[in-house]
Amino acid sequence: MEAYTSNPALLANAALFRRYVGRRVRTVLQVGRFEGGNLYGQAPDGPQIVVRQVPRKEEDFTQFVEVIGVVEGDTALQAEICTNFGDKFDMEQFSKVCELANGNYRDIFM
Amino acid sequence: MYSDSGADGGSLFGGGGFIPTQSNSLNDNSFSPSGATKRGGSQSSGLMPLTVKQLSSATQKASDDNFYVDGQEVNNITLVGMVFNKEEKNTDVSFMLDDFTGRIEVKKWIDGQDSEELVELRNIRNGIYVRIYGHLRSFQGKRNVVAFSVRPIKDFDEVTFHFIEAIYVHAYNLKSQGGAVGSKMPSTTGVSYGAPQASTMTPNPSVIRPTISNQYTPPASMPVGSNSVNECQKRVHLLFDEPANLAIEQGLHVDEVARRMVGFTKQQVKDAIEFLVNEGFIYSTIDDDHYKSTNG
Repeated sequence: MEAYTSNPALLANAALFRRYVGRRVRTVLQVGRFEGGNLYGQAPDGPQIVVRQVPRKEEDFTQFVEVIGVVEGDTALQAEICTNFGDKFDMEQFSKVCELANGNYRDIFM
Repeated sequence: MYSDSGADGGSLFGGGGFIPTQSNSLNDNSFSPSGATKRGGSQSSGLMPLTVKQLSSATQKASDDNFYVDGQEVNNITLVGMVFNKEEKNTDVSFMLDDFTGRIEVKKWIDGQDSEELVELRNIRNGIYVRIYGHLRSFQGKRNVVAFSVRPIKDFDEVTFHFIEAIYVHAYNLKSQGGAVGSKMPSTTGVSYGAPQASTMTPNPSVIRPTISNQYTPPASMPVGSNSVNECQKRVHLLFDEPANLAIEQGLHVDEVARRMVGFTKQQVKDAIEFLVNEGFIYSTIDDDHYKSTNG
């Protein structure tokens, strides 16, 4: 596995994508479908997100996938690292953590 | 009150929450004030969940080797993150742990006799998430972690959980700092606690935490909407810190404090005193009804 540079990635749900266009974020998606090398999935807070340049094959993914990458737009991410997060994952909690990490407690994350 | 050999568990380890504050007199010269004074529960020699960002912004005092986060001494820590650059040697396994708030080097010494452990460590590969328990160290100016446990994450709710826990502990520690006047962090200008507590002490103006005075200075980290409990704690603490009261050998009686705390019930005052004792700001003197500030 190649060594990525130590750029921090901000915890984000879809609502935060707008704020972080061009920045590296991390989020967890519930996998929907694959099409043309893109992954379509649901963000922790609900909206549909498209992930481009997915580095792995479709069959390799579990139901939930953590995606770390650069935000391209309100609903688009360019993938750098994708990590399987299994078939069971609490999206609601994760979404709340995203809010906290970008709100009152940002100082311990960024 | 004095421990001659330092074998008093309380002053050596902070008691792990089991040794009451009374056994830690201020006059144990070998310890920094913040390290010796007891905190009430799990925070002092317990386990701190942290982000790597917190590790890199942890502070150090000139007088000791300890790290401090949010005013708390950092002993054992736990982190969750992704493994990068794993290197296996005969004596140890090391890797970079990246939790995406930052990266830190982690080293796990290998016990050559423990073959189970070797197998487990083989399973740690680049790109997987792990939970580590360890100790924060500094070597040649760079911080690193010596881990005593490295475990792959199986249920990824644990990743979410770790962040929640780190947020919780961070908020809790900030609140304890904000709940009483003055910073928990002692001044780094070599505060001297050498004089025996028995003599009447006049506070030495050159050796004082800048924020302690008769005036209440709200700490920067004051949580929004502080309630009457915090208010009571602050004012009780202020009372104990008044120079006139610091000069009294046996400190103040609980009833005396309650008398002066107009607008608060005796129970509230007693609760505040208990809180301050647990946080190490005051200690009991001749009996359980007399208390004195540790700022003396």
